[in-house]
Amino acid sequence: MRFEFTAEESNFKSQLSAFLDDVLPNDWHGPADESRDDHWELNQEIKKGLAERGWLVMSWPKEYGGADSSPMMNTIFAEEMAYRRAPGHDRFGTRMFGPTLMRFGTEEQRTKYLGSIARGEIQWCQGYSEPNSGSDLASLQTKAVEDGDDFIVTGAKIWTSLAHRADMMFMLVRTDPEARPHKGISLILVDMKSPGVEVQPIVNMAGVHSFNQVVFDHVRVPKANLVGDLNDGWRAGMTVLNFERSGIDYAAWARAALEELIDYVNSDDAEVSAAKTDPTVRVKLAELHMEVEAARLMCYDVSYRQGKGEIPSSEASMSKVAASEVYLKVLDYGVDLLGMYGVLEPGSDQAELQGRFFKMRLFYTSGPILAGTNEIQKNIIAQRGLGLPRK
Amino acid sequence: MDFGLTETQELIKASAKEFLEEKSDPAIVRAVADGDSEAIASLWKDIVELGWPSLTISEEHGGAGLTFSDLAVLLEELGASLAPTPIVESSISSWTIERFAPDALKADLLPKVAEGDILITPAIVERDASWNPEDSKLAATKSGSSLVITGEKRFVAFAEQATHALTLVRTDYDEPALIVVPIWKSDGVEQSPLKHSSGVPVSSLSFNELEVPETNIIATGDKAIEAANELIAAGGVARSAQLAGLGRAVVDATVEYTANREQFGVPVGSFQAVQHHLAEMAISAKQVNHLVHSAAWSFSQEGYSVDTAAQAKIAASDKIAALCWTAHQCHGAIGFTWEHDLHLYTRRALAWKTDYGDSTFHKSKLANAIGL
Repeated sequence: MRFEFTAEESNFKSQLSAFLDDVLPNDWHGPADESRDDHWELNQEIKKGLAERGWLVMSWPKEYGGADSSPMMNTIFAEEMAYRRAPGHDRFGTRMFGPTLMRFGTEEQRTKYLGSIARGEIQWCQGYSEPNSGSDLASLQTKAVEDGDDFIVTGAKIWTSLAHRADMMFMLVRTDPEARPHKGISLILVDMKSPGVEVQPIVNMAGVHSFNQVVFDHVRVPKANLVGDLNDGWRAGMTVLNFERSGIDYAAWARAALEELIDYVNSDDAEVSAAKTDPTVRVKLAELHMEVEAARLMCYDVSYRQGKGEIPSSEASMSKVAASEVYLKVLDYGVDLLGMYGVLEPGSDQAELQGRFFKMRLFYTSGPILAGTNEIQKNIIAQRGLGLPRK
Repeated sequence: MDFGLTETQELIKASAKEFLEEKSDPAIVRAVADGDSEAIASLWKDIVELGWPSLTISEEHGGAGLTFSDLAVLLEELGASLAPTPIVESSISSWTIERFAPDALKADLLPKVAEGDILITPAIVERDASWNPEDSKLAATKSGSSLVITGEKRFVAFAEQATHALTLVRTDYDEPALIVVPIWKSDGVEQSPLKHSSGVPVSSLSFNELEVPETNIIATGDKAIEAANELIAAGGVARSAQLAGLGRAVVDATVEYTANREQFGVPVGSFQAVQHHLAEMAISAKQVNHLVHSAAWSFSQEGYSVDTAAQAKIAASDKIAALCWTAHQCHGAIGFTWEHDLHLYTRRALAWKTDYGDSTFHKSKLANAIGL
């Protein structure tokens, strides 16, 4: 048992923090999610800066431009980026697609794509969900039909974050409509500039354009863009989800938001008198602090186990559930604490904390929904973790 | 970050598990709850032989010199088995003595604790049920080189078994003092047993002009308050470790039950409504486990972390009690019966929730620690 970072880890954290001090504007408060469309230039600048310092893909093996850094270092990286609400992290390329390609791609594909991700030159997006396939992903219907050296792709993907900024999409398509759902799926790579690809913006309930519907109308995709074997895409596709499923971003965002509330309560400028005088405020903030730290430790535990070569599937799901829920608890409490000011939107006159808490609360309604709903995560915990029978 | 157990800890865990499965089964837990004090004595005799009371006592004073983290691993197993035995009481008393008492007192008491010749239990709380050491009013009047103690302490666990109490008094020169007092067959001490949901002996102690030599004083003034606060923090983390083990045991038992109980021709544990209860219980148990390990680790460092100690007790108190109630729901009617053992865990969890500061007490401490 040891509950502190190693000297190497602490040192890296300070270096990253110093870089972010330099690159982030003064009094920076967000956006907290890279898929946010505003501040795109800053996103690109930070991504390049991270790449130059060897941090963007430091988790990758050395042969692909990485540093073979430990899962704990990757978690520290993700945590610090999220804690500072810094954009430019590129989780689609670095955390999800890159590692999948290393495992399932051909040598030619690795050579072609990994370098540009490592250098921060390319934006990937993830084409999984469809209008009729959410949690039941294996029911997806977007089809790819073989035609000479190409596939012809027809269908629609939805909730595709950053599709409007992406150069390429890694997507799951149905290549054998006769096979059982999991068996007829393939993973292919699509150039977003291909004729027949149409990106239709979707504005979320927070008023932000972060995701899209992407319609494919007879889009030609070279067969060379197939990753893994034909009809064996489910395995590769699920590997991506394992890389995706961690709560550390939420735990870090929750900590940052909670600290903002503590500062607010301690500040002389706080307009809301209850923040100063109501004794239950202290108790509630203390409770949230405990919850945030509990979620944070769960995320560290996942990295610790990964570092030992385990695949902590149930623990990863636990961390996602715990952290996404505690983040909403902090945001809910923030909105409540601000009282009448809590519902003033960003840009409003008299908005306290710039209306951030209200907007973040709306935005992160998505937390327990995306990357596998928390209900799906609980199924995983119960069945894979606790060994309860499947129905 | 290292979430793994050391070799020593794996060994402690395995041997404790093996011993407790045999020596602390539900029949023994029930017998003790029904007042069988011989069962407590017999279990304690075995535990002394295993060397558990001496685990964290320094080698200099006849102990094993292990860390608070090592103790936490042992306490988790004790919690999982509901073992009716005063390891927490003894361990945190000797922890406090080792950290704060004058050398002579340490040299006198600790080897005896390690040998099992004496048993010390904390007696802090009074009529107002406050765990704030500043609230202690038990009166001690200076008389020559002794203190004469008169008044009451409440909620003293295993007072019936203990030879000494580690108690907090206020002297007639208006200073707090932390002191070890003999209570075993002392004329000046009267015990009134309570009917306590923990299922182990808990009593009120009335002191009537009990004369205690000043050499038994651990600390006075601010140092006494500091020592008492550390005792309470350590006790809170120790109880939390037991609660963590208890929570894990309840999750395991509930998985076992729902995976085997069939309705509609299938195990009820195959239903998502039940699975999601269990997933949430498992998350709670895991969180408490991590927070306890983090807090226990801080006691192995210089000083300890008020922040993590408070987090552990808040989480253990609230989350494990809630987890027990959900377990009753998952067990359905059978879990509502006296015959089923589940309520033994729930009773213990509810009792331990109140020990060494409840969640509200520690939230206030935590609020201070995070700058509020």
